[in-house]
Amino acid sequence: MPDTAEKPTAQDDGHRWWHRWFRTPGELRALGVVGINMRNARFLLPNNPRRLYDLVDNKLRTKALAEAEGMNVAETYGILLNPHDANRVEKFVEGRDAFVIKPTRGSGGKGIMVIDKRAGKNFVKPSGVEVTPGDLKNHVSNILAGLFSLGGKRDYALIEYRVQPAELLTALSFQGAPDIRVVMLHGYPVMAMLRASTKESDGRSNLHQGAIGIGIDIATGMTVRAIHHGKPVTEHPDLGIGLIGVQMPDWDTILHMAVTCQEMTGLGYLGVDIMIDETLGPLMIEVNARPGLAIQMANGIGLLRRLEPVVEQHRKKPTADIEAKIAFSKKHFRAKLPPARD
Amino acid sequence: MTALGKLLTAVIGLTVIGGGLAAYKSQKLGVPFWEGERVDEWLVEAKVSFLATGREVKARLSLPSAAAEQGAGQESGSLGYHYNVEPDRDEYTAVWSAQEREDAQALYYRVRFKQGLVSGGEPKAALEQPGKPDVPKLPGSLGAAAQNIVTRAKKVSADPDSLFVALFQQINDASSSQEYVLVKRHYEKEAEMNPNIAMGIDLLGLAGIPARLAYGVMLNDENAGQTPIPLLEYYDGAFWKVRNPLEPSRILDGRELFVWHRGGGPLLEVSGGVENSRVTFTVAKDRIPLATLTDLSDSPFLISTILALPVSERAVFRYIVLIPLGAFVVVLMRNLIGIPTLGTFMPVLLALALLEIKPLQGVLMFSILVGAGLWFRFLLSRMNLLVVPRVAACVVIVTLLMMLMGVISFRLGMSVGIKITLFPMIIIAWTLERMSLIWEEEGKRSAFTQVSGSVFVAVCAYYFMKISQIQYWAFYFPELLLILLAGILLVGRYTGYRLSELIRFKSFSNA
Repeated sequence: MPDTAEKPTAQDDGHRWWHRWFRTPGELRALGVVGINMRNARFLLPNNPRRLYDLVDNKLRTKALAEAEGMNVAETYGILLNPHDANRVEKFVEGRDAFVIKPTRGSGGKGIMVIDKRAGKNFVKPSGVEVTPGDLKNHVSNILAGLFSLGGKRDYALIEYRVQPAELLTALSFQGAPDIRVVMLHGYPVMAMLRASTKESDGRSNLHQGAIGIGIDIATGMTVRAIHHGKPVTEHPDLGIGLIGVQMPDWDTILHMAVTCQEMTGLGYLGVDIMIDETLGPLMIEVNARPGLAIQMANGIGLLRRLEPVVEQHRKKPTADIEAKIAFSKKHFRAKLPPARD
Repeated sequence: MTALGKLLTAVIGLTVIGGGLAAYKSQKLGVPFWEGERVDEWLVEAKVSFLATGREVKARLSLPSAAAEQGAGQESGSLGYHYNVEPDRDEYTAVWSAQEREDAQALYYRVRFKQGLVSGGEPKAALEQPGKPDVPKLPGSLGAAAQNIVTRAKKVSADPDSLFVALFQQINDASSSQEYVLVKRHYEKEAEMNPNIAMGIDLLGLAGIPARLAYGVMLNDENAGQTPIPLLEYYDGAFWKVRNPLEPSRILDGRELFVWHRGGGPLLEVSGGVENSRVTFTVAKDRIPLATLTDLSDSPFLISTILALPVSERAVFRYIVLIPLGAFVVVLMRNLIGIPTLGTFMPVLLALALLEIKPLQGVLMFSILVGAGLWFRFLLSRMNLLVVPRVAACVVIVTLLMMLMGVISFRLGMSVGIKITLFPMIIIAWTLERMSLIWEEEGKRSAFTQVSGSVFVAVCAYYFMKISQIQYWAFYFPELLLILLAGILLVGRYTGYRLSELIRFKSFSNA
């Protein structure tokens, strides 16, 4: 039911008394903000066929696809399939000091355990908390029982390379490894953001848990804007470091990687999470078939302003190649750049 | 056709079919559309049940002649039986017969009539003068005592009516004279039926008044499967009259009691290979006018036949038809308002439970259960159990908590605690599990937001389902659910903002 009745009222971007509590639907529409209902009905359901979801919900399949495309992903150390494997988890990590254990069908970062180093028999998480081998086994058992998987299905545990984030990025984050999310429609990158954790978010990068969302200009890979709890900020609340005007390294590789993920999965609307390793460069971490809406707040632009031109372009040129798509996005989705940091 | 075109076609189609059926029912069949227009009617269902032993079976159930003569709606249900009504002057008998029946059998006969119109106990002119009643044979001193009672009662009464009152007031009185006690004791030992009534019949006989047994049904829809109430019919010289021996001085009230059987014959006769035969009655207040009933159950629309089900089965649907309404509220709350809930339809089940318990007490009980359960759940999580055993352990704990609350509230003299069992236990156990997971993963704030969101939605659904007009429509016009379905389909295509998003994006500003 597309609404057409109300006229936009906030074109002047002037502040109104009610903005302290809410915005009217007319104002949001004028800003091009996409709501959950619109995302689902207009972009998710028509473009993401149900049968393709397993490709991205199952990290093993996503990784296999990416490797077949020659994409850089975190090296797999082992896959634990059954309780027997869970008991031998220490064998799988023999000789590795740092690694990550995650469920293959997890969502929203649930069930991911990061180990940075060893301390005697025990393992140490980035926060400094020690984990005994017994804890590790329990965690794997919970993953196998489906505790973290979508719909509680039985699951496998994946042990893989612990990304050592580039220093440029760790400087922006309080613990945790910041990742870059690129949202795409029909293979056109429409928006990107960097998610950095804070003391409050406890190493996690979910914005509603207090992580910072930093908008990235599609054309240049420069950070343009940051929000914390929905409000614009310019500095990291814990670290005091400036968040705006930071150039993401290997930006073109990142865009290429994201668009390749779209082509290999066939999903029309998706988000790709990428981390940048100090030595290996950008690594594809996961693909999300239901990317959230906070990205438009981080960029200060309604998603619809980016999605509508893409729909139009895709209708005109349904067979554009990767280069053409990236060129289109770079040309049309250039942000007003703030002055570069020092 | 585009997706939108299909949707619109479906919505229009459903609305036309649902609305059309409802209009047909209300205009042509005369079912009142507004609850206020309803006509209160009683529906009395006799259920004959017995155990058949494999041979041929014949069952005869005496029918209320008042209903049969005045054209009250009646119907019978009996799969595989031959059924007919045998009129015998002013008496009517339903006859069912079948060959080689086995196991438990149930035969139904239903009568409906307007409230207060017919009690069936009105004085009835005798077709022929009844003969002098048989003088009961009472041994020796008993006979003399009975004769004394009658003589004394006759002295204080002017006519058969007052004699009836005088006799039964004495019979019912626990502290009556020695003679009464003596005679009563004899009947308590000897009589096959209710001793008071047997005694009354014989004493009336001694006084020269013919009397016989009749049966009635209490018009009370709270106790299903009631046994017939014995009444007494006597002849006052011109009319046969029925009175309740327990309230001898009252004229029968057609709003409280319906006389099913009079005329002296047996109420139920079952012959053939049959054991444990009995007849029970279920009474329901109905809101469909009499004349339309047969039209309704014969009408070609399948949806209407919910009204042709046995009364006891129909009661189940009173709740079932409410579930779609609850689901509709959930859809509105989630997709238009944007209230987060734990599990999509958990609030509907919670709302159904609230219908039985009062909402305030229900929410209180739920909070206590969840609070205590959550504490146990955290104790369990220290043991590092796997998921399924942990949820099962939660189910056990929730069950025990429910029993405990039942006992405690019973001791405190509250009856709500006992009804707590209606809370779907598995749902509560899963709520605990999911809540504690969210607690660990996203913090206690999200956990509380989602649980209180669920409770809020459940309470909204409860108040929606509680509106009596809504209940009336859902039950008597179930085809209106098709219109509800159309509404749900429309909401399914709503792409506008949720109310919560207006707040979420309040500080949105252009870059």
